[in-house]
Amino acid sequence: MNLSLYQDKGTWLHNLDPRTKLIGVAIVFIICLCFNSPIYMAIIAFSVFAIALSARAQKALWTLRYILLLLIVFSVILWPFFTTGKTLIWSWGFLRLTKESLFYGIAMGMRLSTFVIAGLILLSTTKNEDITNGLIKMGMPYPLAFAFSTALRLVPTFVGAGATIVQAQVSRGLDLESKNILSRFGKFIPLAVPMFITAIRYTNRLSMALESRGFSPESQRTLYYEPVMKIKDWLILSFMLILLIICLYMRIFLNLGVVMPGRL
Amino acid sequence: MGVPISIKSLSFSYGNSKEPAIKDINGEISEGELVVIMGHGGAGKSTLCYAMNGIVPRFYKGNYKGNISIGGKNATGFSIKEMAGAVGLVFQDFEAQLFSTNVELEMAFGLENLCLPRDEISGRIDKYIDFLGLGGKRLSDTSTLSGGQKQRLAIGSVIAMEPSVVVMDEPTSDLDPLGRVDILSLAGLLRDRKRTIIMVDYDPDTAIGADQLWLMKDSEIIGQGRPEKYLSDEKLLLSCGVMPPQTLSLFNRMGWEGKPLTVEAAIDLIEKNNLVKRHSLMRDAKNHTGNNNFFIKVRGVCFRYPGVDSDVLKDINFGVKRGEFIAILGQNGSGKTTIAKHLNRLLRPTSGEVIIDGKPTTRYKHNELARLVGYVFQNPDHQIFASTVQEEVGFGLKILGEDPKTIKRNVEEALAVTGLEGYEHRSPFVLTKGERQRVAVASVLAVRPEVIILDEPTTGLDYQHQKESLEMLKDLNKKGHTIIIITHSMWIAERYAHRCIVMKDGKILDDGVTRQVFADENRLSEASLVPSPIVRLSNWLGTDAMTVEDLAEELKLQ
Repeated sequence: MNLSLYQDKGTWLHNLDPRTKLIGVAIVFIICLCFNSPIYMAIIAFSVFAIALSARAQKALWTLRYILLLLIVFSVILWPFFTTGKTLIWSWGFLRLTKESLFYGIAMGMRLSTFVIAGLILLSTTKNEDITNGLIKMGMPYPLAFAFSTALRLVPTFVGAGATIVQAQVSRGLDLESKNILSRFGKFIPLAVPMFITAIRYTNRLSMALESRGFSPESQRTLYYEPVMKIKDWLILSFMLILLIICLYMRIFLNLGVVMPGRL
Repeated sequence: MGVPISIKSLSFSYGNSKEPAIKDINGEISEGELVVIMGHGGAGKSTLCYAMNGIVPRFYKGNYKGNISIGGKNATGFSIKEMAGAVGLVFQDFEAQLFSTNVELEMAFGLENLCLPRDEISGRIDKYIDFLGLGGKRLSDTSTLSGGQKQRLAIGSVIAMEPSVVVMDEPTSDLDPLGRVDILSLAGLLRDRKRTIIMVDYDPDTAIGADQLWLMKDSEIIGQGRPEKYLSDEKLLLSCGVMPPQTLSLFNRMGWEGKPLTVEAAIDLIEKNNLVKRHSLMRDAKNHTGNNNFFIKVRGVCFRYPGVDSDVLKDINFGVKRGEFIAILGQNGSGKTTIAKHLNRLLRPTSGEVIIDGKPTTRYKHNELARLVGYVFQNPDHQIFASTVQEEVGFGLKILGEDPKTIKRNVEEALAVTGLEGYEHRSPFVLTKGERQRVAVASVLAVRPEVIILDEPTTGLDYQHQKESLEMLKDLNKKGHTIIIITHSMWIAERYAHRCIVMKDGKILDDGVTRQVFADENRLSEASLVPSPIVRLSNWLGTDAMTVEDLAEELKLQ
């Protein structure tokens, strides 16, 4: 089973320069931080979602559906209790639920999911090597860029190993379905130890394989897939920048899209 | 073009260990030679490979004495880049060697490190990709390749750097028989191109056409020279944990003249010297004997992973009786592991059902099932976590709520059966692969499940240890446990299994008594399987035997 997020589809997003996508994702992150009103966040979230669909990243989204759901549910439930607004809806003892804080919670849920979706778009349309090359071209030192992309590359490998380890222990009688949190903690060791051992053995073999192919982190190397900025990359980047400026202006000078003033 | 290699009194011990991993190794390899290295587990074969590539002592530090010269230059004097251009190293584990998104990037990785210009990299990929048999796969995701293709790519990404010497450390041990043929034919092509090749392997077949055979035992080389000389020495091979050529063993047992190393050579000799008459073997038409009292019934099982469009298993039906010893055979990806995991509900069928002792697996409680069906995973490192062997083996019993007395008794018994007495207080992590494998078996055994499933229990073990593990399973089977093994090893299925299930593309291709399954060589070849030499000879002779011993006995009676 292939657990990697990259989807080899060849959509317009696949063909962009990795730098455009990396900067684009950063801009989306900042735009998300501009507003905390559910309506504004909804517009941003749905635009990003539409881009994800146009990049045919549905499969990657589906893989992470539980994480997205958790983010939304927890934000909506938890945020209202840590922030205070003016319009009281409901209270019980020291717990107070206000309209503003509820809206804020919903907005935060959408903000976090938008972060995840934007990141997913990048990962499902950009080869790991392209991310490395993009980071290097933007001036990141090679060892750092390589470590970053290798970490990304290893996630699916370790998820796969983790699934096997769970199965191996379950078939010995380990019951992961019981509800007791305390007893669950005791079950952590039989899973964590093999996970570490497997990871250490794997990375050891990987680094030998890297070295056998003449890899050393400090030295220069050719980039076989050299990223090239095309006109459409510049157009998209300019558009994103203008959008960012407009959003910053709306928030800072017009104070639009805010349900909870004084907060990001 | 190859270069000569000269090794002079090379010794190495890892880290602070006093025990040398290799001791006083000497050898001369001329350019363009094929050298095969064989030996038991822990004999120092891998260490020798690492030394040729400079990983020892650059990556693994330790006490290094003597020297290796490659094309006249000392191996320790190469930089990482120079070494990659001089000696390419391929490992057994192809998964850890492939880290790029697609095939061409994988091949380009080493060339990028050599700082070749982009068009030259592209030229090199063009030059080698057809040679690797991956021509149509240039932009494919590496995870979509078969095991053999993955290992070919791993080799290809090394040879694209055009090293003069290619060292392969057990490149076929993780592969099915077809993948193995794939790799050996690629090695043959490389040899035609005059590369120097050094290959560690477990099968004497590989050594037959080689220029040199090096036999290793306890860190030393105890035999070095023309392969024919050593391959006919049964005792020497066995002492190095290598399985002697079966045809040769048969001729020795029968007291026949000649030293045939292959089935073809054996048949020639038998015909020429008129040693024995051929029969036509009468085959029993009915496959299953008598009763249909199945302990496990698999009925119409189909399975697909969520989010995937195609079935991994397609309408699987079979039954398992109490006390059977079954081998499941087939290529990588044919569904062997997937069906086995249904038997203890690690996977649940998309449609159909698995019934154990009259009740569908879905209706069992978790701990009931763990007592009925034990499952030993392929890689023991996926389950070992405890700080002592005793604790590890007792873990299953402990979580099933057994009292300390029972735990102690069962653990002792499981350790005795697996030959691990005296290991109680040792840490399982410092044991050898073979010993860790046995700890994993013991930990399943301690629960005393009626059925024990083992997924490729012999991968990475030498002949001696393979035999020991299988003899242990045979004993367990005699004591009443039902044994199901998944294996690539034909001689193991032939020698130990009562019954074989052959899988292909998620379906059962053949299911029957082992002798009958192995009599139909055409059908086996559909699943890319080839019987071992002795069974091929037995098929040709029309005899019933499936092992050297049995065949010798049968022929003497005639």
